[in-house]
Amino acid sequence: MLGSFAVGKTSLVRRYVESIYSDKYQTTVGVKIMKKVAQSHDHEVTLVLWDIYGEDDFQKMRWTSFNGASGFLLVADGTRRATFDKAVELEQKSREEVGQLPFVFVINKNDLVDEWEFDSSIEDQIATKGWTTLRSSAKTGENVDQAFSLLLGKMMD
Amino acid sequence: MSDGSTARRSPEPSKEPSSNGTPPFEELRHLILAPEQEALERLRDRVANPETRTEDVSAVVAEAIQHRRAQGGDSALSEALAPTIETALRESVRKDPIGLANALFPVMGPAIRRSILETLRSFIDSFNQIMDQSLSWQGMKWRMEALRTGRTFTEVVLLHSLVFRVEQVFLIHKKTGLPIGHVVAPAVAMEDPSLVSGMLSAIQDFVRDSFHTSQTQAINRMNVGDLDVWVEEGPYAILAVVIRGIAPRQLRDTMAETLENIHRQYAAQLDHFDGDSAPFTEVNTLLSRCLEYKYKEEPKRANNFYAVAAAALLVLAIGGWLGYRWWQNHRWNEYVADLREQPGFAVTSSGWERGHFVIRGLRDPLSADPVAVLKQHNLTEQPEFHWGAYYALDDSIVEQRATQILVPPPGTTLQVKDGVLFFTGQPPFTWLKELPKRVLVVPGIRSVDSAGLLSAAQHAVAQSVEKIQSTVLKFPLGSAMLSSAEGGRLRALMPELKDLQGVGNMTIEVWGHSDTSGTEATNLTLSQKRADRVALELVQLGVPGNLLRATGVAASDPLRPEDSEENRAYNRSVSFRLIVHNLL
Repeated sequence: MLGSFAVGKTSLVRRYVESIYSDKYQTTVGVKIMKKVAQSHDHEVTLVLWDIYGEDDFQKMRWTSFNGASGFLLVADGTRRATFDKAVELEQKSREEVGQLPFVFVINKNDLVDEWEFDSSIEDQIATKGWTTLRSSAKTGENVDQAFSLLLGKMMD
Repeated sequence: MSDGSTARRSPEPSKEPSSNGTPPFEELRHLILAPEQEALERLRDRVANPETRTEDVSAVVAEAIQHRRAQGGDSALSEALAPTIETALRESVRKDPIGLANALFPVMGPAIRRSILETLRSFIDSFNQIMDQSLSWQGMKWRMEALRTGRTFTEVVLLHSLVFRVEQVFLIHKKTGLPIGHVVAPAVAMEDPSLVSGMLSAIQDFVRDSFHTSQTQAINRMNVGDLDVWVEEGPYAILAVVIRGIAPRQLRDTMAETLENIHRQYAAQLDHFDGDSAPFTEVNTLLSRCLEYKYKEEPKRANNFYAVAAAALLVLAIGGWLGYRWWQNHRWNEYVADLREQPGFAVTSSGWERGHFVIRGLRDPLSADPVAVLKQHNLTEQPEFHWGAYYALDDSIVEQRATQILVPPPGTTLQVKDGVLFFTGQPPFTWLKELPKRVLVVPGIRSVDSAGLLSAAQHAVAQSVEKIQSTVLKFPLGSAMLSSAEGGRLRALMPELKDLQGVGNMTIEVWGHSDTSGTEATNLTLSQKRADRVALELVQLGVPGNLLRATGVAASDPLRPEDSEENRAYNRSVSFRLIVHNLL
């Protein structure tokens, strides 16, 4: 899971994965490991999820943990513009550090329609980049499963 | 054309006839040899051209080397190749040290371990010897250690007994943190291996980043209480074992070997690992090698010999001392029991006090000497006696005491039965008379045998009476003079007379007698004088006059028939008759 601070990475996955570790692992060790079993083309696939502690200063992020990943969810907060720019930075940095990996761009907090800041200009940028994008809401559960399925599909290809 | 060795460079075929004038020979030769010459040319070109030559040589180079080796040219070949290989290695290390290190990884471990082992072997041998000798005191030492370090004895024993169990083994792909293999010992609770592997990897990363260690270093041991997690890192995979207890160092070696085996066996699969552990078919078998455990062993019996012997001796000594003490006590108790049986002893307590045997109680002065009793029991030690005085009521003691106090007359013995005094013999009446009163002075005597007393008294009286009445005082012919001899005889009766006075009312009849010679009147007067004379004497001796009756009976009641002078003289006498009216 990649994304700025408080975009909702943990909330997105919390209900849909298994974990033996409490949330504090994120802030203490810097990462929380979770597991999700999903179906893909008649195969049962075990996804091991690394929820990495996201600081706003991306240089502090431990890209060593990113090594060996098969793919990632890039998450932004639809009610804060700045998180989009951060997402772009993170995606670029990931390419520099570990190369091109399959990912899905998730714009979270879709339930807060009144505060939505991602306007058409952003959407144009996204379109230009050609990112696979989904709007989700961890609160309602909207599109959470779908986001993972999409990512899984991309990783299996 | 194979006959290349005889080929020689033939002169350029001249198109013009030579000046020697042998063109037909030359032309003939050219014609015959032309195909071969062309072949030779081609061959030469081929050899001269580096590209083609390389091609040709490369086709046979392997076989050539093999052939050379087969021919026995080993050393020559190696010598020839060695410098080249050295250079090649150096070049390889310079370009890519990691690659070579990775390749050598399965080999290096065993080599290094072997050399270390050899170095340590002699040290270990001597250390083992020392350990063997001190094993007999193992238990003692461990207890001391437990006291000293504040652990329980059990913990110390565990510590020294190397009790441990490997509960889980993880094989984790280094790059992705995904688990490749996982084995669990029986009856062990476990969490999802995917999560644990991932977290272990994350922690390794975390530590490396936080504490600025080099990227090749890693956590190799984590410890919390009873659990140890040991981690061995290889180039592509990490081996982690979870141990409960204290494991020996050899486990670390087993882990290293296992990791090397895995890297060797699955080198290709490790390189291309994408999360699918299917290619690692036998890996869990390899991991199971690490599921070691060791339970407590029984201590060697032989080495406890000295401890056992010492303990046995101690037990023997204590037992012997206790037995001796018991036997001594038994003898003492027998003595005390015997003492208790003796009359005149009341033992209140007996026992050991400050190393001495002390007997306390009461002792009658007339009792036997306790020291004499000691000798009967063959006890040489003198106990401490603490006697208080008392009067015993044992019959034998009372007997003794009665004899002391009552002073029986000779011939009389006293006996006490249950507080009643009996006597044997014929004690005199005076003694008998006082007896009932005096007897109460003796502690332990309640009464006198009344029947015995009565009969004895009666007997005593009868005896006294008999003595008096058998006494005849003689007088000379025609005289009432009491000779001194006869007076003495009269005096000898006084004790009995005195005795009898205490008995009861008594009359002492004094009968005067005479022989038949002379007249009756003179004899009557004479006999009366004789009786009076005796009565007077008696009064002078202290007999109360009112008891006496002096009567002369002349010859009317002769004591003996007068058929001899002796008998006639006998009749010139006084005799007595006592009448006792009632016994007191």
